[in-house]
Amino acid sequence: MALTDVPAPEAMLARRAGWSAPSPLRIAALLAALFAVAPLLFIAALAVQPAAGASPELLRRYAADTVVLALGVGLLTTALGSAAAWLVVMHRFPGRGAFEWLLALPLAAPAYALAYAYSDLLDVAGPVQTALRDAGMGGEFLQVRSLPGAVFVLSAAFYPYVYLTARAAFVSQSVCALEAARTLGCGPWAAYRRVALPLARPALVAGAALALMETLADYGAVSYLGVQTLTTGVVRAFAAYGSPAGAARLSLALLAAAALLLVLERRGRRGQGYGASSARWRELPAVRLRGAAGWGATAFCTLLLTAALLLPCAWLAVKALSTTTDAGRLLRAGSLSLALAIGGCVLTTALAAVIAFGARGRPLPARLASLGYATPGAVMAIGLLGPAALIWRGTGAGAGAAVALGLLMYAYVARLAAAALEPIDAGLTRVTPSMERAARMLGESEGGALARVHAPLAKGAFWTAALLVFVDVLKELPATLILRPFNFDTLAVLAHGYAADERLAQAAWPALAIVLLAAGPVALLSRQIARSRPGFAR
Amino acid sequence: MLTRRSPLLALCALLALTACGRDTEEAKRAAPANAGVLNIYTARHYDADQLIYDGFKQATGVEVRALQSQGNMLVEKMKAEGASSPADIILMADAGALWRAQEAGLFQPVTTPTLERRIPANLRDHQGRWWGFARRARVIAYAKDRVRPEEVASYAAVADPKFRGRVCVRNADNIYNLSMMAGFIERWGPQRALEWARGVVANMARKPQGGDIDQIRAVAAGACDVALANSYYFLRIASSEAPEDKAVMQKVAIAFPEQAGTGALVNISGGGVAAHAPNKENAVKFLEYLASDQAQAIFASANNEFPAVQAVKPPASVAAYANFKADPLPVTVYGRRQGEAQATFDQAGWQ
Repeated sequence: MALTDVPAPEAMLARRAGWSAPSPLRIAALLAALFAVAPLLFIAALAVQPAAGASPELLRRYAADTVVLALGVGLLTTALGSAAAWLVVMHRFPGRGAFEWLLALPLAAPAYALAYAYSDLLDVAGPVQTALRDAGMGGEFLQVRSLPGAVFVLSAAFYPYVYLTARAAFVSQSVCALEAARTLGCGPWAAYRRVALPLARPALVAGAALALMETLADYGAVSYLGVQTLTTGVVRAFAAYGSPAGAARLSLALLAAAALLLVLERRGRRGQGYGASSARWRELPAVRLRGAAGWGATAFCTLLLTAALLLPCAWLAVKALSTTTDAGRLLRAGSLSLALAIGGCVLTTALAAVIAFGARGRPLPARLASLGYATPGAVMAIGLLGPAALIWRGTGAGAGAAVALGLLMYAYVARLAAAALEPIDAGLTRVTPSMERAARMLGESEGGALARVHAPLAKGAFWTAALLVFVDVLKELPATLILRPFNFDTLAVLAHGYAADERLAQAAWPALAIVLLAAGPVALLSRQIARSRPGFAR
Repeated sequence: MLTRRSPLLALCALLALTACGRDTEEAKRAAPANAGVLNIYTARHYDADQLIYDGFKQATGVEVRALQSQGNMLVEKMKAEGASSPADIILMADAGALWRAQEAGLFQPVTTPTLERRIPANLRDHQGRWWGFARRARVIAYAKDRVRPEEVASYAAVADPKFRGRVCVRNADNIYNLSMMAGFIERWGPQRALEWARGVVANMARKPQGGDIDQIRAVAAGACDVALANSYYFLRIASSEAPEDKAVMQKVAIAFPEQAGTGALVNISGGGVAAHAPNKENAVKFLEYLASDQAQAIFASANNEFPAVQAVKPPASVAAYANFKADPLPVTVYGRRQGEAQATFDQAGWQ
């Protein structure tokens, strides 16, 4: 009774499409995906123009470093995120209740803020290495401005993507599958490794894909750490050679990598049903960890939280307190950031929902719309200038703040659709085709089934999606930097400006403000996921 | 259906709507370009600029609206905007960036007697498309206890084998390094510039990393003995009251290279009037204000840059370093040779 052995939904829906015209929802999904992907088409058009750029030898080095970075971050985020999620969902140990939502909090800290903090803290002239030198020890091994350093910083910043999606999957998993495994002789570890983990694979892969795409697109952190990836190569082609075409060409390579990632992910799932046809929802069985095991779990969670959030933020706070800031400017920037984040979150989640619902079993639109996530923000901004030019030239001089804000929202949707799509898509895999068929047979329309079956069952996934986009918009820099209206400095813009001017203490104020602003919603939604299990009561 | 089921999402939507409402209000307030507005696209990321905008408003009553972003992004944005661009003034923190904007045809020539009188000819475009308003020198920072000033009297010294394993630099993508290399190619020819870069790569104490201030601090911490940095970063440390900065000053000094020869390489911050400026009159007023004693003094006091106008006396902390021989090289070469400079770094293995 644990697992339904159903044919792949693709096959089923394809059969159906043979005799029925595409529903309005499907057309809407396709249109929404095209809308999100339009800037990338402009980039592709740009890439075919003649371009100056880096030599093939340099490209190989960029690509090699990018692959190492992506592999390192992919492995580390998946290991840390899934282990942490399994611990807090399936075990009882000291502090578990708090860690359950605290472990998602590092999502609030932008990767570039972690890079600022760690490179200053561990700099050769920083407090740690100075103290080590004074004590007669060399501290050179603590080199965060390096490839391993970048793997560490990006993993600390991005593991919550895996943690959140994995936790959502574990929370909504079927007790029956686990019980069946245990009755068939699996120990707790084997049940995790052989049943729970494979069943949660869509969620894990979705989380890891998000972390990897963030890694590919990251510029702020890696450039600050002096690591040269394809993305820094894109910016170099653009900044030093003045060649948007060269930059576009390089970013096509990044897009190809992202496309490959998405294809591999879907291919891995093909032909398998992940749905559970549990008749009723029951409390998950929790293993009580006693003694050393319990404290070990506590120590692991504490360490993870400290490395990813507490230590860097504490150091930023120390730096911030060594100086003063213009509180009015900070407050205004904070409210602008908040307004943008809310607007971006609503629009992007809505669009992603249309795509995810309309494209069930037809992955093409979702894949297209997801590509923007691996596009470096600077390149996405260039891509947006194409459609933007039409609007600017159409509306005349000084098109004004409204047009600029509209374009900015468009940028967020185009770049962040994947952040919303991945969790929603993963959530919808838990709705089995038989559930949908049952609903349709009982007289629901397609939309009715979505509203009364899919949406409630994937509710946790929607929360995750909204949360990810909200936080991503708060942290977003390159598109905001170029498309915002006059006198419109968000927190990320302020932090970047001060960091570029090598005033870390001043940059620490807006960076911490981003963390504070994002922390509330992250905590709230993190708790929401815990409650999304039907029948869950605390 | 979602909003009905998820009250929080509904709240989100509501907040977004109110946010939009406020934004359109803002747009209305700012939209009509009456005589009293000036729109600035700026790549300068210094707090000092707010003081300059405030000073300009006080002097003329013109309201300043600024959009700060990276130089190249601003160029791309203006190309996309075309004739509908709202920008009146473009400000850049590097001559290479100014040149690129000029090549894209984003400036219009503007010349006034005041500007011609006050801004030296090698710090501006000969057609008046852009004007330099503040100068910075590329200097050598060195450890006072391990290096004698005469050992770092030239840029060539940084590549000298005696500094093997003793040099800190930032990476080759950095615009300050690119402009410096462009200057070398112009002065020395491409072959000698490449050999110099190879010499520096051989001398590196560590992989290129961090910003200019990080290089200076690394010298103080003993990680290296010699570093390249922009003058105003060193001056910022020199004028700081913080104990850790005072400790750096105990150990580090700077040398202006080539004082017996062609002079230290100098770069500029500058700007010009946008080709399609809707408020051209105010834009010209602003350029003249930037050349005024008041604005020149702000560049020096708030950002430790050297005034472009020779007659303006900077505050004592800056004046102490202001009497150096500057290379009279026209700053336009930094832009023209920027691609070559990047290629040279790449060829030398300077990451």
